[in-house]
Amino acid sequence: MLAIEDLTVRYRTPGGAVEALSSVSLKVRTGSTLAVVGESGSGKSTVALAAMALLPPEAQTPSGRVLFDGTDVLKLDAQRRRRLRGSRIALVFQDPFSVLNPSLRIAEQVGEGLVYHRGFSDERALSRAIELLDEVGIANPRAVARAYPHELSGGMRQRALIAGALAAEPELLILDEPTTALDVTIEAQILDLLEDLQARRGLTMLFISHNLGVVRRIADDIAVLYAGQVVEEGATERILQAPVHPYTKGLLAAIPRLGRGRTRLASIPGRLPDLRAPPAGCRFAPRCPFAVAASALPQELRHVGDRNVRCCRAQELVATAWPVQDEAASGTLRAVLSPSEPILRVDGLSKTFTLTRGFGALSFEGWRPVMRPVRVKAVDEVAIEIAPGEVLGLVGESGSGKTTLGRAILRLIEPDRGSIRIAGEAVSGKPQKALVPMRRAAQIVFQNPDSSLNPRKTVRELVGRPIERFRLAPSGEVPGRVRALLDLVRLPAHYADRYPHQMSGGEKQRVGIARALATEPRFIVCDEPVSALDVSVQAAIVNLLADLRDRLGVAYLFISHDISVVAHIADRIAVMYRGRIVETGPAEEVMRAPRDPYTITLLSAVPTVDGPPLGKRARDEIAQR
Amino acid sequence: MPLQLKAGLLIVGTIVLLGLLAPWIAPHPWDTISMRTRFLPPSATYWLGTDEYGRDVLSRLLMGTRLSLAMGVSATLVSLAFGVPIGLAAGYFRGKTDELLMRSADVLMAVPPIMLGLLVLAVTPPSLWKTAVAVGFVYIPPIARVTRSVTLALANEEFIQAARARAESTSYILFREILPNAWPPLIVEASLRVTYAILLGSALSFLGLGAQPPSSDWGLMISEARSFIDRAPWIALAPGFAMCLLVIGINLVGDGARERLDPRLKARVGKS
Amino acid sequence: MAGYILRRLAFVALVLVAVSILVFGITSLLPANVAYLILGPFAPPEQVRALELKLGLTDPIWQQYWRWASGILRGDLGESMLMNRPIAPLLWEAIVRSLTLTVTSFILIGVIGVGLGVIAALRHGRPLDHTVSVATYLGIAVPEFFWAIVVILVFAAWLGWLPSSGYEPLSAGYWIWLQHIIAPVMTLVFGHLAHVSRLTRSSMIEVMQSPYVTAARAKGLPERVVVIRHALRNALLPTITVLALDFGRLMGGIVVVETVFAYPGLGRLLVFSIQNRDLPTLQAAILVVAAIYALANFAADLLYAWLNPKIRYGRSVA
Repeated sequence: MLAIEDLTVRYRTPGGAVEALSSVSLKVRTGSTLAVVGESGSGKSTVALAAMALLPPEAQTPSGRVLFDGTDVLKLDAQRRRRLRGSRIALVFQDPFSVLNPSLRIAEQVGEGLVYHRGFSDERALSRAIELLDEVGIANPRAVARAYPHELSGGMRQRALIAGALAAEPELLILDEPTTALDVTIEAQILDLLEDLQARRGLTMLFISHNLGVVRRIADDIAVLYAGQVVEEGATERILQAPVHPYTKGLLAAIPRLGRGRTRLASIPGRLPDLRAPPAGCRFAPRCPFAVAASALPQELRHVGDRNVRCCRAQELVATAWPVQDEAASGTLRAVLSPSEPILRVDGLSKTFTLTRGFGALSFEGWRPVMRPVRVKAVDEVAIEIAPGEVLGLVGESGSGKTTLGRAILRLIEPDRGSIRIAGEAVSGKPQKALVPMRRAAQIVFQNPDSSLNPRKTVRELVGRPIERFRLAPSGEVPGRVRALLDLVRLPAHYADRYPHQMSGGEKQRVGIARALATEPRFIVCDEPVSALDVSVQAAIVNLLADLRDRLGVAYLFISHDISVVAHIADRIAVMYRGRIVETGPAEEVMRAPRDPYTITLLSAVPTVDGPPLGKRARDEIAQR
Repeated sequence: MPLQLKAGLLIVGTIVLLGLLAPWIAPHPWDTISMRTRFLPPSATYWLGTDEYGRDVLSRLLMGTRLSLAMGVSATLVSLAFGVPIGLAAGYFRGKTDELLMRSADVLMAVPPIMLGLLVLAVTPPSLWKTAVAVGFVYIPPIARVTRSVTLALANEEFIQAARARAESTSYILFREILPNAWPPLIVEASLRVTYAILLGSALSFLGLGAQPPSSDWGLMISEARSFIDRAPWIALAPGFAMCLLVIGINLVGDGARERLDPRLKARVGKS
Repeated sequence: MAGYILRRLAFVALVLVAVSILVFGITSLLPANVAYLILGPFAPPEQVRALELKLGLTDPIWQQYWRWASGILRGDLGESMLMNRPIAPLLWEAIVRSLTLTVTSFILIGVIGVGLGVIAALRHGRPLDHTVSVATYLGIAVPEFFWAIVVILVFAAWLGWLPSSGYEPLSAGYWIWLQHIIAPVMTLVFGHLAHVSRLTRSSMIEVMQSPYVTAARAKGLPERVVVIRHALRNALLPTITVLALDFGRLMGGIVVVETVFAYPGLGRLLVFSIQNRDLPTLQAAILVVAAIYALANFAADLLYAWLNPKIRYGRSVA
């Protein structure tokens, strides 16, 4: 139905033209689903835009055709393109929060395609919109139809967007990371819905995602994109079970899996090539452990068994696994767990946020003014303990209060109630000035590497400052200490002169870790330290944190929304839901036999790349157990 | 460098240079009255003609350049000196401090700037430096607001939390972590404020509440030339065009600099 | 929504109280001795003392403020010291004349400014956009008083179409009245148009690049529907706030424009009262301007709320 042939797309940027796609060819068969998979910078979103002929003005297409039902979409005039979009091809975007127009009602946005493509009257479009909202599983479609986007949750918005895309009965549905902005339990619901629609309407879909687990539930075929090129394509289950291209092998090996326990993950070293001047040879070669001299030559997509692979060694590598390098210290230092004195003990910790204050809280009952502040209980009577050298994984979805808890423990947010002891010393109730010893003993690593480093400071200043602040070394020795710390997080010494914007996300995160380690802490709060990173980089950071724990005996509170990442590093897991800890226990136990219904839902919602395919029915069975 | 930044720097640079060199390059004395040379149209001797006292308009214009520049820059420095600390405090401490400071700013902004200037100047006999202070005072609230919004955005950054997590003092956080990141947007804002200050200052002089005769302030020159506009339009047109050129130049620099701002910072600040 | 309106109204009241304190505070610093002003510079000191007692000028400052403020609440603005007339009717006449100028200019600025901004944004990067951008650069750089002089030079001195200054009431004939309005209105429009059109342009460009406009295009809607239904409404939200601010700037603009055109409105009254140290008139005039400005902002808030569902409907259904 859709065939992309030899498509090259370049974006003009101030730094030169970036080649987002290099002669990409893809085919989506009628009634099937093709997933385009890749990490950030792979060009996968450009595929979606090109298929709709929606590329921004700064994009050029020096070669290629996008054939929809035999006609080249790129060559159509504006009028014809418009008649195609939304009518025969529909697109669901990544971020449901910004894609809905804030000042139009949901029904208007769902039904407007019908008005303009099918000539529906406004009333007919409205009643059809309500039917569609009902079809995508919205409980009270009439109320939602009248609502404005800001009144809906993320999951509801995504359902409404899907309803809008389905309105004009398109033949092809393109979904660009439709679940990435959503929590994992909501993601599972949206995937159920898509599976359902696939079966009921026989939809043809082009599904774009970075998440192989998600793709596995939905796609018949996969095309793996790396640096603007298709490196491997074939049937979904075949690729996931036996990847052939080294990049696919690495990507799959780097994905943390439930039930593997505390092992080191495989990781892919290095970073994407500069796409302003893409290398002529294999684009993955610099990061590839299998690279040979022939890799420097241009690589063709060639037929290998049941699929196409862009690698000159594909045939010989079919059965070779991705090497897992730093398997070293896995679980050896299983802890100096002394039951007597925990490094962290938190009891009855609570924090309520007042969302409106001052004039904002003033409301009126008739004419009578009343102060009515809106309050949210972010952390509610939480008690946790962490032993020296122990890793406690804290899992929860957005809004569960896990970040607030992490910051309240370090008194970066003032808790309302509760006691905190770190390294035997009381932390709660003291004035901030008296917390200096605690601030040395307890540090924090943040989620967003773009935000956690001051953009105007060099790595040397960033990592050196804690040493100066706590006077841990005479000023002459600071550069040496910085070098040692960079070495510890496996960054070369010359990085000391770099500014944050001169580093990749993973490198920045390493600097953030080095900065936290600079005070020689005994306890670190790791607040979603890998969520902003690509899978291949994420694995390396998780491994690094695990190694540091083993070498330095530092304890972590490892906060993450991704239970499979947590399972790889944590000794114990605490599950947080709506401000409360609903379950704690040894990691293996929580993973194997969860007790709390929320934990069960959470675990069953995680899309996996191996094991039995987890469809809706399979999950229902688990939930009933 | 974008074209507009280049053009702006060229214009502003030339005007600043002419202003600095004015006493040496002015072809005639700027304040010598001569009844014989009244209302002479532009000629080879008097490039821009003469005014009602027979003074050379070009020489007066050049001397007036210094006054306008001094007015714009000093008034902006006054508003920066007060507005930046106020904005930093409001944005960082939030809560009651913020409420109090920003509501006060709202009150000041509820009176149009020129009237606030008039009000302040009504209290004392007019002179140019008082006008500069008054104009600076009037523009404290907008500077404070911009600083506050930049600070609000920056205070949410994780590197501020990191600084707090190593027990840095508040002044270290405000002046060493936040301020260096707030400067780029502040400098852009300040450069635009310079133009507002020049325009407002000259308007006050025009109304007789700023520079006093025989000063060659551009606003005053235009005000004095008003009565002879049909007979000798060049007396008013010369300072008017000079002012436009200067303001356009500074605007070009400000807009050009804005586009060159660190895009990441621009995106973040823009959201708030 | 009702709560929102009342909240905004409460804020308007608060601002006015604060402005009145500010105005009273600053003017009471005036060194000019009011009694001397009334009695002339050579009055004997005993007479001055007696008048000061009579006027209450020896009372504590807060008592003086209270007397003044409560008078205003009763509608008594006091008496002009210079003209020996009650201020209220004097001010009322001036307000009506000034509002004639500002409201007319405001409507023209709103319509033309928003129109130019939208057109320039839709032609982003094309010749028309560049023309508008250059023109607005000029507009921002030219001070009002210079515009006024250019208008006089062109329309009065050169073309001879309009009178160079003055004011005639409507009773003198519609055309004569209008002739006296055109030049000041033109000056105000030239001086303030650029600001509105520049902000409309940038806000429209931003909205046209937003994800929901891309999404609307992906639905295959006709371009006119994308622009009018999806973009314009959201782009106009920030413009409304700017327009309200500009109404304040217009209120400031009348000071210069009325002085140049010898137009007997609020601005001229203000300058006149400052030049002659007529305190009560000065205080009343500034307070009135602040009140008009605050009400304009209030109106903008209402319009904003009406167009913005996030304020109109605070609660969520899901």
